[in-house]
Amino acid sequence: MDLPAQLAVAATPLAALWLARAGTDAVCPDLPATRAALAAVPIAALELAPPLARRIEGFGLRRLGDVLALPRASLGARLGKPFVIDLARALGEIADPQTCFVFPERFEQGLELPAPVEAAPVLLFAARRLIAALAGWLAARNAAVRAIECLIDHGHGVITAVPLAFSAPVHSASRIERVLKERLDALTLSAPALALRLCAREAEAREDRSHALFDGGGQRREALAELMDRLAARLGPQAVQGLACHADHRPELASRPGSEKPTLKASLPSVPPRPLWLVEPPEALRELHGRPQRAGPLALLAGPERIESGWWDGGDARRDYFIAVDSGQRWLWIFRDPRPPGGWFLHGWFA
Amino acid sequence: MNPSLAQVLERSDIRRGDAFAVAPAPTLATGFARLDAELPGGGWPRGALTELLPEHEGIGELGLLLPMLAGLTAAGQTVVLIAPPHCAHAPAWAAAGIRLDCLRLVFPRQPRDALWAAVEALRCGGVAATLFWLDVLFRAQLPVNSLRRLQVAAGEGGGAAFFFRPARQAAAASPAPLRLQLQAAGRQLRVKLLKRRGPPARQPILLDVARPAGFVQSVNYAVAGAVLPDTTDIRRRSRVAA
Repeated sequence: MDLPAQLAVAATPLAALWLARAGTDAVCPDLPATRAALAAVPIAALELAPPLARRIEGFGLRRLGDVLALPRASLGARLGKPFVIDLARALGEIADPQTCFVFPERFEQGLELPAPVEAAPVLLFAARRLIAALAGWLAARNAAVRAIECLIDHGHGVITAVPLAFSAPVHSASRIERVLKERLDALTLSAPALALRLCAREAEAREDRSHALFDGGGQRREALAELMDRLAARLGPQAVQGLACHADHRPELASRPGSEKPTLKASLPSVPPRPLWLVEPPEALRELHGRPQRAGPLALLAGPERIESGWWDGGDARRDYFIAVDSGQRWLWIFRDPRPPGGWFLHGWFA
Repeated sequence: MNPSLAQVLERSDIRRGDAFAVAPAPTLATGFARLDAELPGGGWPRGALTELLPEHEGIGELGLLLPMLAGLTAAGQTVVLIAPPHCAHAPAWAAAGIRLDCLRLVFPRQPRDALWAAVEALRCGGVAATLFWLDVLFRAQLPVNSLRRLQVAAGEGGGAAFFFRPARQAAAASPAPLRLQLQAAGRQLRVKLLKRRGPPARQPILLDVARPAGFVQSVNYAVAGAVLPDTTDIRRRSRVAA
């Protein structure tokens, strides 16, 4: 990381900070020594708000000693109360209590299995006890978690980690259990499991909302979030996607897996009709007597629409799109590549 | 009429063959008045499986559902697509009036995962409509009891369920209470009601589903200053239908 450290010792925390910023390796064990050392600190080392720093500089004061020599009462009237209070704190005239750093709480609990377990789904029974303990721990703190890690210990230091991620913070034991079940069902153990451990870091405050008496909106949302978590746990996170528009003329780039949050309309204004299904990659079509074929000749209903874009990112495309109908009266979106070797391609279905 | 027979006929789970069944849940308007008139309850059923059997793809089979999907997503309800046959093209879905943030796509790789995902989505009360395509993954060999499982799951969740199947399954038995066969008819879609909880349908209905219109020549160039394609040549060679 290449971060340098600068050390200074003073009788008050703020004075120590200023001395360290000033770059002096001062060690001042008592207040008189601190006051003497502070006099040499340049104003720039205080890192004041720019307007305040400019005013002090405008007075012709360069060092903290110049400021301390002035009468304190008029200083307060000119530079504001907060600055004078900071000075008093640095000089030890008023108390400057510091808040202690508190490590974030984390949950970690393990369980020795009575006998080695060969099949992963069986572990769910043992995990239920740990999940109940976690749910209790969360309930006591009115907290919820987004991610949990389940560690399966095979002995000899071999550990299988099963991370569980949730789309929304969860706190109920049944929801955690159902997601874990999907993961364990899909898991084959490399060696018999001897112990189980459940860790949760970064618990966050639970979001409480009041439920309407008759409208089931909140319940519906929760049921949906749980469904998405379980689908993602069993099928993989890439298997569950949203859909969003992207401002690009090339059809294959105009649509991408979207986020769940409502996005601003990024669609292009007044585009000609687009098909609901896109055939990706485009399917090459035969050409006979200058007409594209797909189980018989295609009749072109509308077109061409030229899409030419992407010369700047290597995906250079120049295509003439047509709406076509085949002998089975299916509606296709086809394009012709005007550049050699050319040819016709099926790119979408108007389903 | 025999009084005890009249008593039996008053039960809600008894239906006379010449009348529409009473839908257990309020239906969803299809957006096509002629179709609404032919469906029990006047719309797409909720809490029951609906089988759609298009003859081909690209004949407007999704266009049949678009008005209903647009209405659901506009109200903030979620629609889930499971194992869609192609990539969904976002601008087209948005142009059809569907709120994209209410759409979820699920891509299972294994057949049994696909069936599991469909059952779970149907069973979930938070999904307003589920559309799924399973026959491609199963290579047209869907397990015999899976339709029954899907129908039961749809009943538990209470959302609308649309199962897209190949048209050759029309002759096979199915527990789905509503089965529609879809055929192309020019710019229209011919809907044949194979099965419904009501009197047998006599003739197919023709619906004006959304079809792409021709576009104006002056706006259809994506890049300003690009060389115009030689349209006269292409048209002559391709004999464009007017």
